[in-house]
Amino acid sequence: MIQLNRNYTLPEREEDIIPIKVIGVGGAGSNVLDRVVLDGMDKSDLIAANTDVQSLASSVASAKVQLGRSITRGLGTGGDPELGFAAAEESANEVREALSDARLVFICAGLGGGTGSGAAPMVAQIAREMGALVIAFATLPFTFEGKRRSSQAQEALARLQGITDAVVCFENDRMGDLAAPKAGIHQAFALADMTVSQSVRSIVNLIQRPGIMRVGFDDLLAALRGGGGRCLFGYGESDTDNRAHEALDQALRNPLMDRGRMLEQATRVLVQVSGGPAMTLSEVEILMRELNRHISDETQLLFGTAVDGRMGNRLSVTLISSLRREDAPAATPPVRRPMETHVAPAAPQPPAEPSPQPLLAILPEQSAALEPAAQENPAVSAKTKELLPLEENSPEAAPVQQNEPEQAPAAQAAPEIEPTPAPEPVARPEPVARIIPPKKKPPLAPDYTGPKVLPHPQPEKGSREKVARQETLQFEPVTRGRFEKSEPTIVEGQDLDVPTFLRKNVRVK
Amino acid sequence: MASNDLMVGLEIGTSKICVVVGESRTDGTTKILGVGQAPSRGVRKGEIVDFETAMQCVAEAVADAEQKSDLMIKSVYVGVGGAHIQSFNNRGSVLLPDDRDEIDEQDVEDAKISAREVSIPAQNAFLHCIIQHYHVDGQDGVLNPLGMLGQKLEADYHIIHGVRTRIQNTIRCVKELPLEVEDVVFTALASAQVVLSQQQKNLGALVIDMGGGTTDYILYVDGAVKQSGAIGIGGDHITNDISMGLRIPMARAEKLKTDEGSVTLGNCLPGETVVLKDDSGFAGKEIERETLNTIIHLRVRETFELLKKQLDEENFINYIGEGIFITGGCSLLPGIDHLAEDIFEIPARVAHAQTMSGLTSAFQNPQFATAIGLIKYAQAVQVERPQRRGLSRLISKFLPGIR
Ligand SMILES: Nc1ncnc2c1ncn2[C@@H]1O[C@H](COP(=O)(O)OP(=O)(O)OP(=O)(O)O)[C@@H](O)[C@H]1O
Ligand SMILES: Nc1nc2c(ncn2[C@@H]2O[C@H](COP(=O)(O)OP(=O)(O)O)[C@@H](O)[C@H]2O)c(=O)[nH]1
Ligand SMILES: [Mg+2]
Ligand SMILES: [Mg+2]
Repeated sequence: MIQLNRNYTLPEREEDIIPIKVIGVGGAGSNVLDRVVLDGMDKSDLIAANTDVQSLASSVASAKVQLGRSITRGLGTGGDPELGFAAAEESANEVREALSDARLVFICAGLGGGTGSGAAPMVAQIAREMGALVIAFATLPFTFEGKRRSSQAQEALARLQGITDAVVCFENDRMGDLAAPKAGIHQAFALADMTVSQSVRSIVNLIQRPGIMRVGFDDLLAALRGGGGRCLFGYGESDTDNRAHEALDQALRNPLMDRGRMLEQATRVLVQVSGGPAMTLSEVEILMRELNRHISDETQLLFGTAVDGRMGNRLSVTLISSLRREDAPAATPPVRRPMETHVAPAAPQPPAEPSPQPLLAILPEQSAALEPAAQENPAVSAKTKELLPLEENSPEAAPVQQNEPEQAPAAQAAPEIEPTPAPEPVARPEPVARIIPPKKKPPLAPDYTGPKVLPHPQPEKGSREKVARQETLQFEPVTRGRFEKSEPTIVEGQDLDVPTFLRKNVRVK
Repeated sequence: MASNDLMVGLEIGTSKICVVVGESRTDGTTKILGVGQAPSRGVRKGEIVDFETAMQCVAEAVADAEQKSDLMIKSVYVGVGGAHIQSFNNRGSVLLPDDRDEIDEQDVEDAKISAREVSIPAQNAFLHCIIQHYHVDGQDGVLNPLGMLGQKLEADYHIIHGVRTRIQNTIRCVKELPLEVEDVVFTALASAQVVLSQQQKNLGALVIDMGGGTTDYILYVDGAVKQSGAIGIGGDHITNDISMGLRIPMARAEKLKTDEGSVTLGNCLPGETVVLKDDSGFAGKEIERETLNTIIHLRVRETFELLKKQLDEENFINYIGEGIFITGGCSLLPGIDHLAEDIFEIPARVAHAQTMSGLTSAFQNPQFATAIGLIKYAQAVQVERPQRRGLSRLISKFLPGIR
């Protein structure tokens, strides 16, 4: 299925560029977006959308949308997806405006919280209504984050799968393997951000820089659509003489690749190779030949290359595929959520047929339908059905609904809703934070000059804002990273465990 | 070899556990026979937070030391650190009875007891009570009052104390191995025993031991300890800052720091970068050197400024003739001595253990200063009181040999 187009076209003309917008929804979503910005991606607009203004303020995205201005008053959702959904609904017009003119919309969200889980499906729906193709990049929470987050995430995932053209889904638990065991949560999230960022960039490259080989959009979507299964992802890079081999080898060794074993079972695999101007066709051929040894004869490879001056001597390989999860119960049928009624009308109607085709630099025989995979991919069509109007779902949904009262959304959310952002980090092992500098002198010391007043650990105005971003992560008691188990080092009201450069407001890039 | 000629120092550090086996020679010198090491887990900011894990690591390091030195370890001198450690100076005094005017051992002991009659926080315990000077009938600077004639004996002490349960944690961790604990020693006090010569202590010096989790310090004037303490900031913070600032995993931030980091600013070519090599599947990130160094610089500067603030509560820092000696793992950061000079406005240098024979590679590593210092401390104690044994010392002790 690989077609070499030897009329190797270097970076395309301006007008060939497809308008892509990447929108990060919720805390995790905007962190991923920051990562995308930091890793440097051009040719697309990046938008951060969040209910939490503090997190929004610290985002480096060029465009920002505050969701639910009046509903959440800038304070976040406290982990309640209903609230996230309502917030997105309130701000639908702003979202629409931010997404205008995009023909392809990428949504990044961490599922499990309130904003990402609740608002992302709504954002997807808006994008679809505007005629864009929508791909969601979602993370599923760590097991240790608890059942509630996990079930919220599953529900949101099911919804996203119904509305979007494809969901690339990353399980945090499996990405956690990337970090050293017991490594802090920061590290695990940073790795997750990096992984998602790499896959977003690779796919953008795949689309924007067709280079020597071209990929059909429908194939791309089919490869990404795994029917709720896990995502295989691998990235490798090298700058040695043997860089093609080494980069591939590294990509195959990524934990999200399951050491290459799973690749054989994939029906479609996206391969994206980037390199500096010196990248040769023979290198690419070597790489493809080697890759062929890891896949079955039936596997379809969707292949793209990009020449990127910034790569210098490096060559990178990205592999992406979605596996269908055999044993996976069809994702929980969506239940009784307000959004169902919004989503329903949008989904069944084939998304803006004409738009995708011109977007693609495509092999003619592949450019036909948007969802050619429907027949060979029952999982996907089943998902699509779930989105059909409520009546169709209600018989199956009934038992689930019966379980609900116990954990009714309001009751679930209650404990986590914080009326105001907590001014001090939570849950310390000992009741009193130690305060260092005013050294307490015992009364009899010879040069004792009278009692010294310990300055009350009061948040400093200036430092607070910088710390705020951390605190958005501090929903979970485990987010102090390296210093998780230790007593905080508080001096004159400052938490010195927070990086100095953050507290001193020094920009590092 | 008689067993009490052998001494073992154990530091349960935040980033590594270090066991040093030393031998006290008849000529008064000490020889290092072996150094055992293990990466430390379950320790944060110099304190044990995960008992089981830390114990395993200690067992590993002890086994390593036994293998390297080919000796069985039965008892150890253990370092304790952590930001809970505090200190102050206090004077005790006794009046001799009317019928006697020659100062004897009991008077000295009584003066010390009186010096310790101060209230420390209820949850704290005394760790050290270090003699500075005696005064006999108002005469200053007496080093040894025994046998002197006088009516009034006063004694100035530097008293180091810390949270009892945390000190006990360390002791328990070792005793459950099981190993006997000869003594617990504040880490900076131990480091100073080998980083400074007696001459340097006399002329006045400040030792800063910047390790993985804490920055411990001890200041000498006129051969006596005047100030000491610990700040809960160390190399881990630098690494964490790098990890967050550059958005790279801790393990890679750590490697980047030790391989490429420096505290010196403005020393890089414009746009000079470090390319992160990598084996985990994510590679090739280019990092601007100046950015890396800025993150490090800001953290180290802040730590030193904090320390200066603590030291400035008293005036002793203006009396250190020999300047500052920086040791511990972070002292390996290039430029750290100049940064210290900048902030304290006193000459500073990087230092490691000076006064030992044996494994040179061991004592040239500043990360081992504490563990080696524990041996030197042990030697001083054993010379003074070869007979005394047992744990009673752990709760209240009197160490005339240590200054
Ligand atoms: N070459 C180097 N450059 C910079 N930092 C270094 C270097 N080598 C080690 N370090 C840092 O030194 C620290 C460890 O120092 P050290 O071994 O003295 O600490 P420790 O005794 O384990 O901890 P502590 O005494 O604080 O409990 C680590 O943070 C490590 O990153
Ligand atoms: N990749 C990544 N995931 C995160 C981050 N912070 C939180 N998460 C994950 O995303 C989920 C939702 O959290 P968050 O986005 O903060 O909540 P929201 O803003 O209410 O949507 C959490 O349950 C975590 O699994 C982050 O910084 N990066
Ligand atoms: Mg140490
Ligand atoms: Mg220390």
